[in-house]
Amino acid sequence: MLRNSIIKAIPLALAGVIAVAAAAEARDQIRIVGSSTVFPFSTTVAETFGKTSGFKTPVVESTGSGGGLKLFCSGVGVQHPDITNASRRIKKSEVELCAKNGVADIVEVKIGFDGIVIGNAKSGATLNLTKQQIFLALAAEVPVDGKIVKNPYNKWSDIDKSLPDQAIEVLGPPPTSGTRDAFVELAMRPGAKSFKMLADMRKADKKGFRKISDSMREDGKFIEAGENDNLIVQKLQANPAALGIFGFSFLDQNSDKIKGANVAGVSPTFENIAGGDYGISRSLYFYVKSAHIGVVPGIQEYVTEFTSEKAIGDEGYLTDKGLIPLPGADREKYRAAAANKTNLTM
Amino acid sequence: MTDATMNSKPGTEIRRPTLTGERLKKRYAAERRFRLYGLGSILTAGLILVFLVGSITGTGYTAFLQTYIKLNISFDPEFLDPAGTGDVAQLASADYGGMVKKNLRDNFPEVTSRRDKRKLYNFVSPNAGFDLRTMVIDDPSLVGQSLDLWIKASDDIDMLTKGYVDRTLEESNRRVSDTELVWYDKLDSNDRIESRFNTDFFVKADSREPEEAGILGAVTGSLLTLVITLLLSFPIGVMAAIYLEEFAPKNKWTDLIEVNINNLAAVPSIVFGLLGLAMFLNFFGFPRSAPLVGGMVLALMTLPTIIIASRSALKAVPPSIREAALGLGASPLQVVTHHVLPLAMPGILTGTIIGMAQALGETAPLLMIGMIAFIVDVPGGFTDPATVLPVQIYLWADSPERAFVERTSAAIMVLLAFLIFMNILAVMLRKKFERRW
Amino acid sequence: MNSFFLILVVIGLSVAGYAVGRARSVFAAAGDVRILHSLPSYYGMFVALGCGLPAILLLAIWLIIQPQIVDHMVMSGLDPSIMPQNADAYSLMLTDIRNLSSGNATSREASPAIVAATERYLALQSIGFWSMVVGVVCIAMLGLAWARSQISRNFRARNAVEKIIRALLIVCSMIAILTTVGIVLSLIFESIRFFARVPFFDFLFGIHWSPQTAIRAEQVGASGSFGAVPLFAGTMLITLIAMLVAGPIGLLSAIYMAEYANPKFRGIAKPMLEVLAGIPTVVYGFFAALTVAPMIRGWGEGVGLDVSSESALAAGLVMGIMIIPFVSSLSDDVINSVPQSLRDGSYGLGATKSETIRHVIIPAALPGIVGAFLLAVSRAIGETMIVVMAAGLASNLTANPFEAVTTVTVQIVTLLVGDQEFDSAKTLAAFALGLVLFFVTLGLNVVALRVVRKYREKYD
Repeated sequence: MLRNSIIKAIPLALAGVIAVAAAAEARDQIRIVGSSTVFPFSTTVAETFGKTSGFKTPVVESTGSGGGLKLFCSGVGVQHPDITNASRRIKKSEVELCAKNGVADIVEVKIGFDGIVIGNAKSGATLNLTKQQIFLALAAEVPVDGKIVKNPYNKWSDIDKSLPDQAIEVLGPPPTSGTRDAFVELAMRPGAKSFKMLADMRKADKKGFRKISDSMREDGKFIEAGENDNLIVQKLQANPAALGIFGFSFLDQNSDKIKGANVAGVSPTFENIAGGDYGISRSLYFYVKSAHIGVVPGIQEYVTEFTSEKAIGDEGYLTDKGLIPLPGADREKYRAAAANKTNLTM
Repeated sequence: MTDATMNSKPGTEIRRPTLTGERLKKRYAAERRFRLYGLGSILTAGLILVFLVGSITGTGYTAFLQTYIKLNISFDPEFLDPAGTGDVAQLASADYGGMVKKNLRDNFPEVTSRRDKRKLYNFVSPNAGFDLRTMVIDDPSLVGQSLDLWIKASDDIDMLTKGYVDRTLEESNRRVSDTELVWYDKLDSNDRIESRFNTDFFVKADSREPEEAGILGAVTGSLLTLVITLLLSFPIGVMAAIYLEEFAPKNKWTDLIEVNINNLAAVPSIVFGLLGLAMFLNFFGFPRSAPLVGGMVLALMTLPTIIIASRSALKAVPPSIREAALGLGASPLQVVTHHVLPLAMPGILTGTIIGMAQALGETAPLLMIGMIAFIVDVPGGFTDPATVLPVQIYLWADSPERAFVERTSAAIMVLLAFLIFMNILAVMLRKKFERRW
Repeated sequence: MNSFFLILVVIGLSVAGYAVGRARSVFAAAGDVRILHSLPSYYGMFVALGCGLPAILLLAIWLIIQPQIVDHMVMSGLDPSIMPQNADAYSLMLTDIRNLSSGNATSREASPAIVAATERYLALQSIGFWSMVVGVVCIAMLGLAWARSQISRNFRARNAVEKIIRALLIVCSMIAILTTVGIVLSLIFESIRFFARVPFFDFLFGIHWSPQTAIRAEQVGASGSFGAVPLFAGTMLITLIAMLVAGPIGLLSAIYMAEYANPKFRGIAKPMLEVLAGIPTVVYGFFAALTVAPMIRGWGEGVGLDVSSESALAAGLVMGIMIIPFVSSLSDDVINSVPQSLRDGSYGLGATKSETIRHVIIPAALPGIVGAFLLAVSRAIGETMIVVMAAGLASNLTANPFEAVTTVTVQIVTLLVGDQEFDSAKTLAAFALGLVLFFVTLGLNVVALRVVRKYREKYD
């Protein structure tokens, strides 16, 4: 009987904890949410910040850009996150949601680029691709002899004799991913535009053009493989005939196992991406809630650390983690914006 | 037999067993085969388990070692305490990173170019300065001294020591360049490289530097979460099972409950995360990333497993026990608490263990309630931000740094150790209950 | 002092009540407890419950209602000139007042009117809190006194206590219903928004799943079609493969452990199999994607089959391994509980052990075994990581296990953690998928219950 009463006491005690927890308590720890792509950089800064500044190390969650912005925009107050990371720019509808919930002042900081590489196993063929070839290999519909038809190419050599005689098999990000989005914009669209027919179409019927340029094929040649880039790298190793699309930092760390394909004659190296010669990369951002600066301790200092030369500069510690730095002038601009709490303008 | 003969229609042949040795042999052969099938299945499952654990151990055991480099470190007052105040605050905020870099340059006077210096700085962990800081704060008399100290190597050098770097490859394809190899070999030949047991792995929480990363934070988080899960799901699950099995009238209403419970077992775990987000975080206003909320979500998730297993365990208790107890004048509730429940305990524990194992390995529902997070501090209570072991494994598996590969496997080994410990506990409990009755 | 402390006070009073009740009953029986209707501890329990239960109930109700009343009083007391016009502004101002009162960040500079409202808010809150303390403690005392006064030699304390405990048991079994309601509620609003954009029947019966809609506004969505049939087909295919692995292996293992193995072997084998259920799914995912999938591909090529490198087979096989313990451990318990008399009867008729198992024990244990299988199927349907890593995201409507398929759970996770905005059709589709999967499995379970009933009647 006594045991029974103990068991019964537990839910009651929990009910008590509910009541305690319900009251919003002051928070002395920064809370960050958002994109899984910015996560490795954000956590590195958070750790350094925690070790050097005397503030508590921020808690960084990996929720995806969309989920992060949703949380960020849900209101002001310590129960809501202070900063959200995003691998794309905030959208108008999200700014409106923020404003509706009282998050009127948002500081936008662009931290750098994430290079997107196409790679395969070291034992596979070295590829020199043009954007047109990428488009031809991966689009759902392609122009053949002046007509738009369902993609007929099965092998790389069908597209161009100089390419290897092996089946097209590309592991890439799903349509919910910002990497996919950037890849479509920076590789597929220029590739499509290089056909005169499609370029003409773009002037006349933008929507029709985009439908062709943005649609990836769905007949098994392009395989949506989730966002675990390490897994893609290992799958490439297991299958030398396959290519993969993934973030530059994974190429950087696994340079003994995989190699990047040259795109338009440029190899995906740190210098080439930073210099803008290698054209496929995407911008990374974070957004700060101004109303929280001064309430949650350390936000201003964290932002200062993140925007400092020592972190995102040309030789900053984030470059070791694979971040491609912004041009110097842009870094200055965002550093100033962060220091002055300049409001976001769309 | 005679009955059968009389009732059978004329002309129908009676099937009689042919009682020859042939048939008996066949039956015994079938018996042996059947037995072998059973043994074979267990062995298959066992082999797979051994293979899985073996491959994890194969990649993971190296994480328990960490490379250290012996360097001559001079605690230069110029860096630590230029004014000579001896003030602890000054010592705490000094530039230890700069001091480490200067000492590295002093240890390798031949390195002059900027590029090479950068490579040299990459030899030791970026956090080496913080370790020295702790030393100095503990013992301020070190300032001004010069000592030979074992400094933690960076992850690249650690990988080199462990043989994960292929020296035969072209330089551009390696994480460690030729000049670094030369320095490394020089150090190695002077016995200045050593592998030691990696205590940090067990006493530190997460870090972005592989050589600094540990699992204590995740283990603590898992423990706190599981405590909540167990405290909630075990009593509620068992009580629900008792009601449904022993007291509930068999009607539409209890059918509804039964179908519901079975159905909840099939709900994808991430949906429980959505429920937790909507109910515990948004409605009740619990803090994000807290083991308390994680435990409640996992409790809801494991409840069906526990209820279903407990019900079959209760069902298995022979009715004669209940009848005997009732006959002696026990009330229905006393029958259950004093007789049926203890008898059913082994089965209930089986269900609980499977449910807990599932909860221990779960990641997806924690995403929505903010436990997939980078947390450097070891959680101290049920409402502190925390992460759990499988999340740690998931995050490390997703990190680009190569040194996280072995740490991922090592974390899995720790998780499995936990699991085996839980199982042993359950076996002991099962035995205890079996002996008593 | 907060409500947690108040709960401790109530629990303390209940413990005191237990002692009082127990002592009172012994006193009523003049020391001879045999003449009491129930054991003294039941009288103690009765008083403890009489003291604690109403107090805790009052506390819970108070905690839920008080904020509503305080909010309303504060907001209606506002100066009409700054009274917010619409619901959004209303809740925003309320949040600001609350945040200000706890020293939290606010969305605007506090005007004097807001500060005044905040002070009112704090005052009301503390009045509310203290009246709650007084109320709860009074109720607890009154309850204690009343329960104590009830105690007499003939008072049926056990029946009263058992009635309360039985009510508690019912409440526990209702938690499953509440969870279901909670899940439906947390999915339904987003799902309705989704079905406002994508017609319900297109979603339910569409055979093409391709959420290639644009992430950014200036982009044009490519083929954005949300037909859920391939996802459900993929889920079923992978579950079927998994059950083909886990079913035989699990059941045969269970039979061996329960009928053949000596207790020592069983003592080792059973927990060993249970470890399989606890290996994190990420590990299985890596195993499936990097070991099993290339192996199957190699074999397939060896015999001239066209095997996708991300095949349903690889994911299904590995998932089958994971759910073996669900079948084996639970079936083992059930087989163990088949009465020995059935076995003895069968042996007495001359049956061998395996014949007894096949013709007597399995039929007798069938309801429990079906339950174990159902649990395993449930787990397979709900599993995510293995499929994400090994089978990929390609939605093919196929029954060929060598092709890549995707499952509902994989899509839910991918859609939820994506980079797209949260109220885009893509994210909302995750909620709709969750809801539909919920009802599909509900239907399956209703059917399963019917089937189990039928068999159970046959062998009871």
